Amino acid sequence: MASRLSEWFDERTGWRGSWTAVFLRKIPKVNWAYTLGSATLFVLVLQFVTGILLTLYYVPEPQQAYASVDYVTNELPFGWLIRGIHHWGASAMVLLAVLHMVRVIAYGAYKYPREVTWITGVALLLLTFAFGFTGYLLPWDQRAYWATVVGTEIGAVPPLVGDFTKDLMLGGDEISGLTLSRFFGAHVWVLPSLTVLLVAIHLYLVVRNGISAPPKRNE
Amino acid sequence: MQGSEERPGRAERSADPEGSTSDVHRRRFLRRAILAIGAGITAALGIPAFAFVTGPSRTGVDEETWIRLGSTASIEPGAPPTLIKATVLRRSGYLTEEQEISVFVTSETGTEFTVLSNICTHLACRVRWVEEQEGFFCPCHNAVFGPDGAVVQGPPPRPLDSFESMVEDGQLYFREA
Amino acid sequence: MDQEERKQYLEDYEKAKKKGIPFFPDAVFKDAVVALVVFLVIVGLATFVGASLEEIADPSDESFTPRPEWYFLFLFQLFKFFPGSLEVVGVFVIPMVALVFLILLPWTDRSPRRHWSGRPVVTSITLFLLAGALILTVQALLEEPPPAAASAGGDQVAQLYSTNCSGCHGSAVAVASRDELLEAIRGETHEGMLAWNPELTADEIEALVGFVLSPTGHVLFESNCADCHDLDSLVASDAIELRRAIDEGPDYPPHENVGVPVWNEALNSVDQGKILAFLTAADGQRLWTQECASCHGQSVAVSGGRAALEDVIRTGGAHLDLDAFQAAPGPDDIETLALYVSDPPAAPDGAALFGRVCAACHATRVPHAADYEPARRLIAQGGAHEITRPWGDFLSDEQIDALVDHALRAIELPDLTEAARLYSQNCAACHGEQGEGGVNPTRSGDIIAPISTEEYLATRDDATLRAIISQGQPNFGMSPFADTFGGPLSSEQVDLLVAFMRAWEDDPPVDLPPEVPSGPVQAADPASVYLALCSQCHGDSGEGGLGVAFDDAWQQSRTDREIFDDINLGHAATSMIAWGEVLPSQQIQDLVSYLRTLTGEAGTSAALTYDATIRPIFDAYCSSCHGTLGGWTGTSYEEALTTGIAGPTIIPGDPDNSRLVQSLIGTHPDGVVMPPSVEMSAADIQKILDWVEAGAPER
Repeated sequence: MASRLSEWFDERTGWRGSWTAVFLRKIPKVNWAYTLGSATLFVLVLQFVTGILLTLYYVPEPQQAYASVDYVTNELPFGWLIRGIHHWGASAMVLLAVLHMVRVIAYGAYKYPREVTWITGVALLLLTFAFGFTGYLLPWDQRAYWATVVGTEIGAVPPLVGDFTKDLMLGGDEISGLTLSRFFGAHVWVLPSLTVLLVAIHLYLVVRNGISAPPKRNE
Repeated sequence: MQGSEERPGRAERSADPEGSTSDVHRRRFLRRAILAIGAGITAALGIPAFAFVTGPSRTGVDEETWIRLGSTASIEPGAPPTLIKATVLRRSGYLTEEQEISVFVTSETGTEFTVLSNICTHLACRVRWVEEQEGFFCPCHNAVFGPDGAVVQGPPPRPLDSFESMVEDGQLYFREA
Repeated sequence: MDQEERKQYLEDYEKAKKKGIPFFPDAVFKDAVVALVVFLVIVGLATFVGASLEEIADPSDESFTPRPEWYFLFLFQLFKFFPGSLEVVGVFVIPMVALVFLILLPWTDRSPRRHWSGRPVVTSITLFLLAGALILTVQALLEEPPPAAASAGGDQVAQLYSTNCSGCHGSAVAVASRDELLEAIRGETHEGMLAWNPELTADEIEALVGFVLSPTGHVLFESNCADCHDLDSLVASDAIELRRAIDEGPDYPPHENVGVPVWNEALNSVDQGKILAFLTAADGQRLWTQECASCHGQSVAVSGGRAALEDVIRTGGAHLDLDAFQAAPGPDDIETLALYVSDPPAAPDGAALFGRVCAACHATRVPHAADYEPARRLIAQGGAHEITRPWGDFLSDEQIDALVDHALRAIELPDLTEAARLYSQNCAACHGEQGEGGVNPTRSGDIIAPISTEEYLATRDDATLRAIISQGQPNFGMSPFADTFGGPLSSEQVDLLVAFMRAWEDDPPVDLPPEVPSGPVQAADPASVYLALCSQCHGDSGEGGLGVAFDDAWQQSRTDREIFDDINLGHAATSMIAWGEVLPSQQIQDLVSYLRTLTGEAGTSAALTYDATIRPIFDAYCSSCHGTLGGWTGTSYEEALTTGIAGPTIIPGDPDNSRLVQSLIGTHPDGVVMPPSVEMSAADIQKILDWVEAGAPER
């Protein structure tokens, strides 16, 4: 029964071919450092799941933002856990992404033929930081607010484009409800879309070019 | 794991994935372990997530208080059902909102009161009293309820809900029984 | 990497793959294990640490110290190294260079080598960046985060710091020493920083010094003392009392029955020291005023040099030997001195003698003896008439240093006659001969508050006074006086003026009216409100005093609206508070109408009674003699109206023939003028006159 069903699907989707190509492909023998990329991906998925759950209650409006986060944290069943995972997941993601990058540098894995994979990786690291920065404001508490004041001020420092960058981030001259909704929009729509796109390219390239082998001393 | 693979002898065997029976066993174990870990994480996240999503609906029903409808003097005995609005504070999540509830009140004697919901039991449209028909009419699917709330015509599965009522100091109260 | 090398690589890679493992399940298993570990760690952190939620954002609360997430800390810390115009380097250039390095890595590192040991440049740059970020992060974490202030509920010093300092200095200031910091805040020793003293009181500056230097002490104060104590009441208070309060714990009398812990158990000695250091800065002048001035006055004579002085202060003991006195002055002189110290007016020659014999040690301060006899005995017998404490037990080394410095500086006694001349030439026009203040000639409608009250002098140290005189107070119409600021006085002359003002402190010529009880005033009738609140300064009938007189000129110069605003908002520079906080506006309106009925001439008010007005005057000027010496007695209403050497002293309704009035204004045939030693103010005499005229009502 099960095999007939899978046959039926394979005929229409060709999933077995994809499965073989992606999962049953052979890779060079690798060590534990090679799990860092997949661990980052795992945390990313975790962030997507918990993030989507949080948007069920979160309202990007100053008063309600705080009240809703407070409600999620202190009243909803397991709200503390979902928010806690999302909060600590952010830290874990940054840490794992950086370690992953260090591994890639240490093994020279950014070299031919994986240059494009590397570029998408750097972009993904920047996106991760952008996630952290935009997400930090959303609870609209003191820490969030003042860290964002400083953060956007830093954005204003670069010559020529500084003021424009700051205005773009704030949606005005200072932090307001508009800033909150644009941070929310960035955190929930813009950054995830870009991330999904780049992760897709990144993974496609990893499968296509194969995972780099740990170099030997003379390589 | 990797450490054990690096040992001489085993590394040789693992070079050929389909090669030996011990590899077949090992891979079966790995597949099961992956499945178990995946299931474990999914459950550890899924169960709290379910509670998280359904949280508000499971804590909602606590409004068993008496709701005041106003003076009994405004309801004439034997008169057609009067639609009376009452405002209640409903707490939903972190918000406390004012909500307007409307009910139909009738009285035959002036001392005993019948309080009927104005919500059609079919698909929750609001019913209205139609004098000519001597009944409550639901505009959505043309259902008609009698003055006592019983279904006269149309798809509703049960009569209009009736509420428990109480008179205190000349004020009429009701609550969802 | 050329064509050949690329081909070579691909071939090698194919070989490695052949020898490799299937991605699933071998590699995926490892991934799953790591994912599980990561998941458990994250859930553990979420469970046991949790995600905090602070107070709701408050854009007006500028005291909050922002801290970014840990992964931005290295950037945050990096910015600290690039102040001012270099900011762009830290914020923009360095991160951009690092980013470009990362992006271009595959093109800058073109060699075919892949093992890290074959790529020393990339490896070392990477290690450098990593180590840099790590060190910066750790550094930022280790920096003691300053307490989050206002949200924690009225932490006054933190507030003070954030309003005045954090704008330039951020969350912490690195300073070399306490002395330097104190100087930098109140002087102008720090380049680019203004002197703060005209704006901050000495207490506030000291609190800031404590805050900057002993953040731990500040935190300890907040957690242990701040529930009951205002910082104002403890900062810069007596080192001995503070030490005692800590040592005695719940046995310390004021701490009885308030449930304080045994501090010696609750706080270790290091923490105790930190609290004390926070509360008492090493400020020589202040320590001197608190601990030494009660015996030594403004300064003390030192014969043995710095080391000897420090030793005396540190070890305490009998450093005062008066043996010379028996020999030098004769018995008459001793009696004169004893009389002088117990009752100065009784010994007119005392001052000169005191200056000759005692001032070497006592300086200008005349020690006050309660009774003549013990004073005589002490002077006659000499010896250690007072034993000083071993200050080493109470004060820190820094504090003793500061104290010694101050004592040595204070020895150079200024010439106060020159100072008095300078004062009347430069200051008296606005501040009055006695520093009593008055109408501000530079700003109409403004009143200059007294500068010679105990309160004013106690809250401003010499450096503050110096700064005010030197720089002026442009906001209040006072021009700068030091020549460095374009004024007429040299810095020595400014110092003299400071010394002159300081000499007021022993006996302030101006007393501020008693504190007005806060809270809504009950009396609804404007006349009683006026008597209860306004008359203290403006006189019972609006004749003026500390405050302006409500005479014709005043009545014409102010509109009702202006008067209402004056009462409602007060004057920042004077002791006229904003009564709007105390009185409802209807009452202020009534008061304005009432003020319009006043003419500024005493006696128009019918409210003079024995109990309310006259008795206190009698008590102040008369009762010390009348009442014990026989004759007229003013201590009760009956006696005041009935007693007298030759019939009643007061004839109600007839001031001209009342002996009391005659004695006061000097029209008595015997030529007696009362009171004999002090001068009664014209206003008080007028009150008594009006009272008698009005029939001498009792209440």
